[in-house]
Amino acid sequence: MKNILLALLVTTGLFAANHVVDQKGKTFIPHAISVAVGDTITFKNSDPFAHNAYTDDEANEFDIGMQSPKIDVKVTVKAAGTFNVECAIHPNMLLEVTAK
Amino acid sequence: MILNKNTLILPFTILSLLCSTLFGDDMYKQESLDNGKLIYESTCISCHGAKGETSSAIFLIVKPRKLNKTILSQEQSFKIIKDGAHYWGAHSDIMPTFKYVYNDDEISNVALYISEEFNSHRDKKVLKLLQESDAVSKDEQVKMLSVGEKIFKRNCSTCHGVIGDGKSEYVEKLKVSKDFLFPYNLTRTLLNEDEIFLYAKFGGHYWGTDKNDMPSWQNKYNDFKLKSVAKYVNEKIKKIK
Repeated sequence: MKNILLALLVTTGLFAANHVVDQKGKTFIPHAISVAVGDTITFKNSDPFAHNAYTDDEANEFDIGMQSPKIDVKVTVKAAGTFNVECAIHPNMLLEVTAK
Repeated sequence: MILNKNTLILPFTILSLLCSTLFGDDMYKQESLDNGKLIYESTCISCHGAKGETSSAIFLIVKPRKLNKTILSQEQSFKIIKDGAHYWGAHSDIMPTFKYVYNDDEISNVALYISEEFNSHRDKKVLKLLQESDAVSKDEQVKMLSVGEKIFKRNCSTCHGVIGDGKSEYVEKLKVSKDFLFPYNLTRTLLNEDEIFLYAKFGGHYWGTDKNDMPSWQNKYNDFKLKSVAKYVNEKIKKIK
């Protein structure tokens, strides 16, 4: 029973952590994070203009599209590895994600 | 010695002929420059400044381009002055057409004056930057359009729109904020493939725009990728060849 409950908790993501990454001054803050597979990353936008966050990493590919100011968007880390997240609009924005 | 009329006229005529043969082009060019300067100082100077550096006091939504940094050649400057910037892809017509004010010769003189007085290093600078850029191998050449299309759709289309006409949801939303953008309608750009590459690589500020709203992409993409985007824009987006 205990094992079933544990499995249920894991599969429903209750143990997954959420990591907040802000986009401010055309910079990801922080610019590097360590996460576990299954964790989520919440992208905030504190700039007065739109941003974007995407990765071309095959195992974790995502693109949140255009993100208006003050809107939060959450993505889930699907696979282990190190990958970069970039903003399609602002070429100098870079976030390094290490997933274990 | 008696100097009559004929003895005076003959050497003067010979001297005039000699001068026009030796200095004819220079004299004509100087006349063109003088005329260009006259027009520039009566018309263009209020926005672009005495030395083409753009007056910081100018209060316009889009600040005039710094003519001492522009990527535009003399021929391209002529077209912008004649037709206005909007015709060649600018969002606004703040740089208006002057074809109803000045004739082609006068416009040509202004373009010459700008080119010679403010931006005489332009051609060498463009050539040097191109020579310093990485060459594209034959193997890479066949991939350029597909690589360029992918990058254009991923990055450039956010501002310039999917078809490159400068219309996008992102730009629409910014219209109501202080961080407005007026991306160029690339279907009408005057720039050739090499110039588009250099513009994308170094960004608008480097080439004389006030804001750095067209950022430099050289930290994100290498020369091959930026040349691929330029090729895609030049061959698939641009409509006026």
